Amino acid sequence: MIEIPFETHRLDNGLRVVLSADRRLPIVAVNLWYNVGSRNERPGRTGFAHLFEHMMFQGSANVPDNGHFAMIEKAGGTLNGSTWLDRTNYFETLPSHYLELGLWLEADRMGGLLPAMTQEKLDNQRDVVKNERRWRVDNQPYGDWDERIQALMYPPEHPYHHSVIGSMEDLDAASLEDVSQFFRTYYAPNNAVLTVCGDFDVGEALSLVGRYFGGIPAGPPVPSLPGRTVVPDRMGSEVRETVPQDISLPRLYLSYRIPPYGDDRYYAAFVAAFVLAWGKASLLYRRHVRGDAVLQDVTSYAFPIVVGASMLVTWATVRPGVSRERAEAAVLGQFDALASVTDEDVERARNLIESRHLAELQGVDERADQLSMYTTLFDDPARINTEIDRLRSVTTADVRSLASGFLGPDNRSVLWYVPMQEVGE
Amino acid sequence: MSSLQSQAPPPGLLRPYEMPMPRRRRLANGLTVVSAEHAITPVVAIHVMIDAGTVRESAAQAGLASLVANSLDAGAAGRSGETLAWEFERLGVEIHTEATTEAAWISATVPVERLRPTLALLADIVRRPDFPAADVDRVRDEQLAEILQRRDEPRALANDLILHFLYGDDDAYGRPAVGLADRVRSLTRDDAMCFHQAGISPERTTVVLAGAIDAGEALAAVEAQFGDWRHETAGPDRPDAGLSPLPAAVHVVDRAGSVQSEIRVAHIGVQRTHPDYFALRVMNTIFGGAFTSRLNLSLRERYGFTYGVRSGFAFRRNPGPFTIQTAVATEVTHRAVEEIVRELVLMHDSGAADEEVANARDYLAGVVPLESQTADQLASRFAELVLFDLPDDYYRGYRAAIQAVTADDVARVAREHLRPDDLTVCVVGDAAAIREPLEGVVGNISVHPVPQ
Repeated sequence: MIEIPFETHRLDNGLRVVLSADRRLPIVAVNLWYNVGSRNERPGRTGFAHLFEHMMFQGSANVPDNGHFAMIEKAGGTLNGSTWLDRTNYFETLPSHYLELGLWLEADRMGGLLPAMTQEKLDNQRDVVKNERRWRVDNQPYGDWDERIQALMYPPEHPYHHSVIGSMEDLDAASLEDVSQFFRTYYAPNNAVLTVCGDFDVGEALSLVGRYFGGIPAGPPVPSLPGRTVVPDRMGSEVRETVPQDISLPRLYLSYRIPPYGDDRYYAAFVAAFVLAWGKASLLYRRHVRGDAVLQDVTSYAFPIVVGASMLVTWATVRPGVSRERAEAAVLGQFDALASVTDEDVERARNLIESRHLAELQGVDERADQLSMYTTLFDDPARINTEIDRLRSVTTADVRSLASGFLGPDNRSVLWYVPMQEVGE
Repeated sequence: MSSLQSQAPPPGLLRPYEMPMPRRRRLANGLTVVSAEHAITPVVAIHVMIDAGTVRESAAQAGLASLVANSLDAGAAGRSGETLAWEFERLGVEIHTEATTEAAWISATVPVERLRPTLALLADIVRRPDFPAADVDRVRDEQLAEILQRRDEPRALANDLILHFLYGDDDAYGRPAVGLADRVRSLTRDDAMCFHQAGISPERTTVVLAGAIDAGEALAAVEAQFGDWRHETAGPDRPDAGLSPLPAAVHVVDRAGSVQSEIRVAHIGVQRTHPDYFALRVMNTIFGGAFTSRLNLSLRERYGFTYGVRSGFAFRRNPGPFTIQTAVATEVTHRAVEEIVRELVLMHDSGAADEEVANARDYLAGVVPLESQTADQLASRFAELVLFDLPDDYYRGYRAAIQAVTADDVARVAREHLRPDDLTVCVVGDAAAIREPLEGVVGNISVHPVPQ
């Protein structure tokens, strides 16, 4: 196994800094995680955290409109941002002699976004985001699955009840005042982690970080999450939803409530997802894609989310001519089979996970993002090296115990997408 | 706010960069081995590239190259597909198989200590596939179901149909690798056997290893598994594709009720080895190949019509398409097409300013080391050298060739290779809503139902 070196610092304004030097290639990744995501949105403003992310690319005190993209691309770098339930991240990968440019750009928007904000920019990015929603969700078969699953799996007062992309209506309601307020509330150094990974001198980088970020004042304490974050361990019943769509093949999304990311049992769920559906020797693939050809494709994923409870979501597309009842019974059958899963199945899953870990850590951008994530979620960047041990130490008994504790009929939602013609017009 | 610095800091000292130099050798049986040492983590990327892409299937058997590529691991050397899957995955190895127009590919990234047993398994599936009848039928049915899925998905549908409208179904460049339903339906195990027998040989196979391995070990590891492979394929030379495009026209494929239109605007481009390759890359970066391209700054950042728009040349052995693609809100479909054509005419007629050209050069040259970090990225690059008959030291001169492109070059290649008067357009969207306004922009339109 490999060991990613790093050191951590905290500036007086609360900004946590992770530096991980690797001088083999002349490139550097600058990565910022703000500890804010769709979970922080207030009622009537779903989708706002993501719309706000777009506004972060519209210039700041000393950076012109689109200057952020233009300067990074001119430098030979790549960049983007993304918003999820628990966080919003911003990242650029650059030829290493442009490290200072990346830090300056990130500091300028952390310290001075608001002077550059205009109604015209907000209206433009609102249109862009509405088109993003059409593209990802509304004009895409099965496109609203995450929205529907979140609504089924979390009660209305829970911060995960609504999706990251949000509703068109709420996007329409977003105002410039919302932008200011959101920025002042969440985009302060004390609510962020900055990671630099790649080709740099640690002492030099630290002094640059101090120069550019040190003068940004700390923000007020960040308010606690809206709504009610505690949910029972188990849902207590099965909930079902059937959605008719203009599709040829039905698809099942089967979701179980599991302990949140960070809990020991979460790692058993992560391994269970691999046992079930990763690779051609996985239970679902070998028995129902290859075996009796009931399924066209299958995937399973334990969401790495931390508030209250997470989800193990499995989706499977049904082969033409196969009934939904038969497909559902087949998928559920493999969840039952987890109760007596073998060492061989679990060992296979662990080996796949280990190989992926080694392949993933090749890129400075991926390493930087993981360091920011572990620092933001657990205040523990060392997890970049130790998380794999948590996964490696999951035993067959752990997977069985997760299955008997959490993967039963009283703790799941069953979401079906079905072709229009099967339900009548 | 006073703490912020008003000026962007200048760059520091440029650090030198050289991409690892690949070593290319041929085994006695004709198989090509390419290796490159690049040890970031202890993994090796393996790309097996076989000259058995869709250009080698007959139009009547469209989909056969994919069927063969995807059936290789369905049973080999007397072991079942399930047994093979266990053997790979016990090693922690997941393989990816795929046929493209130009080649069949099998790829994986593996921990270096698992390289030799992985290569042994790969040799079994490449050299000794059994094509069990029941498994081949299942893979064929998966392809048929995938064709249905691509039809339901507007993005995939638009991608497939623009090729169909440019080249036609009988050209390998004109159809999706997965094939066409009426032709896939009749494919059999015997077809797969014949295609393998006639088309897969050491002469036509390249094994690329990039990562934590030196050239000597790489050669020995491949030789051990593939060195005694004796198989001749004396078949015909590689058939040509892409050489007889259809007349340009504007097509709307009706998906009633669509909230967006998937737009593809295209014409035939040039082959990968064209001497204007670098100037075209720079020109396209300015036009639609980067976030700050003219098209994206207009359609997204100025008008808010779309989440994004991009353009690009598909560089292949023969001229692949040059395509502009975007998805826009239904009601602005005609305005978006009008804007795309306006930008294309502008680039064709006037080229680009010095500053735009300099920015694009710096971007394309600068991102090379960023896009050569992983073993897999390097293996892809070095497989391309073989695919397009480029020399081993090709990437040594790559960044200099980009930096040598001038504004005059950009203006010239725009004039020579962009064809604003010869555009094929495919829009997948709500015909009732978009047809009339779009006809006002582009003239005559043929409206088609979604193909069944």
